[in-house]
Amino acid sequence: MGKKKMKAAFLVYLILILCALIWLLPILTALVKSFHINGLGNYLYVLTYEKISYFRVIFNSLSIAVVTALGVTLISSLAAYAFSKMEFKGRRLFYGMILACLAVPVAAVTSPLFNVIKVFGFLDKHIGVIVPLVAFHTPMMLLMTKNYFDSIPDELLESARIDGASSFGIWYEFMLPLGKPIIANVMVLTFIYTWNDYLVPLLVLRSEENYTVTLAAQYFMSSTYQSPEDVARIYAVMMLLTLPSILVYLFSQKFLVSGITAGSVKG
Amino acid sequence: MKSLRKNNWMGYLYILPLLLFSTALIYYCMVCTVGVSFTDWNGMSKEMNVVGVKNYVKLLNDKTFWTAALNNMIFFVGTVFVQAGVGFFLAVLLKLKLPGTSMFKAVYFMPIAMATSIITAIFRIILDPTNGALNQFLRAIHLDFLAVSWLGDKRFALFAVIMVNIFQWMGFSMITYYASLMSLPDDVYEAAKIDGAGFWRTLVSVTFPMVKGTTNTLIILGIVGSLKTFDIVKLLTGGGPGRATTVLNTYLYEKAFNDFNAGSASAIGVAILLIALVMSGLQVKLGKEE
Repeated sequence: MGKKKMKAAFLVYLILILCALIWLLPILTALVKSFHINGLGNYLYVLTYEKISYFRVIFNSLSIAVVTALGVTLISSLAAYAFSKMEFKGRRLFYGMILACLAVPVAAVTSPLFNVIKVFGFLDKHIGVIVPLVAFHTPMMLLMTKNYFDSIPDELLESARIDGASSFGIWYEFMLPLGKPIIANVMVLTFIYTWNDYLVPLLVLRSEENYTVTLAAQYFMSSTYQSPEDVARIYAVMMLLTLPSILVYLFSQKFLVSGITAGSVKG
Repeated sequence: MKSLRKNNWMGYLYILPLLLFSTALIYYCMVCTVGVSFTDWNGMSKEMNVVGVKNYVKLLNDKTFWTAALNNMIFFVGTVFVQAGVGFFLAVLLKLKLPGTSMFKAVYFMPIAMATSIITAIFRIILDPTNGALNQFLRAIHLDFLAVSWLGDKRFALFAVIMVNIFQWMGFSMITYYASLMSLPDDVYEAAKIDGAGFWRTLVSVTFPMVKGTTNTLIILGIVGSLKTFDIVKLLTGGGPGRATTVLNTYLYEKAFNDFNAGSASAIGVAILLIALVMSGLQVKLGKEE
């Protein structure tokens, strides 16, 4: 029995390790090759590249992702509170209308979206990326937050109500603290999705000083990469550009994972 | 003090930001897409004429449109089934909770945290026919016949795009199955064990049927996800070679921003929206049943 169990565990590890290799190899290849020929010089080249400043690009992506995540969290937690805990005319209709937005791909409505951004004068501005991303990420995050708020008992809120708390006070002093896990999920998920978005920055941003991480990656890709020297440099670019999101991932893995499952299991 | 549950006009106040900043924009875009699809607008000028259903008639006779739709289908089938299969199998192995499980989970899930823009860049270099790491490796182990032009050959390009997509999103299926497996009661396994069912038997006839709900959700999310596909195709192949990897969204983008034909682009947009709305309706319905 013991021997059989050992054999089974060995097999399981073998499969898990083989798969882990498949998933790690592309990234490890890039990492190892990013030190080829010039070693750290490849990284120095990127960090001192004049036309596109690495730190500027990271700052751009960071500010867009932080503002979008905060915006989505605020808007969806306010609305989820109303949809979960209040009774008002047309509540179900509104909720249904918003859920219908869940499946609308940004890519399917690019022309009208581009025009809205243009009319508002948001072209080539970060706000022009933030507004559409907030709009398109909110429905999913609302769904997740509302499902979570539904599990907070009404009695608790009603007794606070009798003690004289205002409806806004209840949102601020009860819903937000009690909903901390889902709020963390929503923030991390929106942050990562926004950081990784390519289509909206592609539509909106023009000048290099406004580029996000995803646009910068493609900028470097569009230059030639024939010689092994170029390839090493491009790998260094990719490693540097992906570093922040890997760090965020490592520190927030728990929230990201539970956020993704909360969004998909409850659909 | 009034109860929150009584007819409470304050509710509108709390959903107002959402309606203003999200719903209004999305619905405006949808209505515009439908409207523009009946015109010959170029997407820029002030001039616009109503042309009736001409864009739709053209679209239905457009071979590329059907190629793109078919590619979306292949993309969906290839991605969802392989991804769900591998994800389910790995979730079952991870559920055994051997030491190191969380590390493996973190590795499989990591590509989701990385930008498609960066993953595609890395893969474009790795899949390069002559200097790419993959073909160099294949040649080194004397499998030269496999060292093909992955992204440049019509026969392999869509397959390669699907593989990269699976690489990025497999962790999603895995983690969803994992969560659903963790919520299953243990006594089912005990019963199967007593009945003398082996590992594979238990997997196929006990575990898999019990996560049917998750499989359904993943299939629908797969269809919706396939309809959202844009970056990965645009960045790996640009829809080529020829039309081998063109999907609805990249075709729409091309019509709108290369051909300046907003009318035709919007007609494609309407087709995508219709399928997407039906699918999300199904998803919500399935979610309620569970």
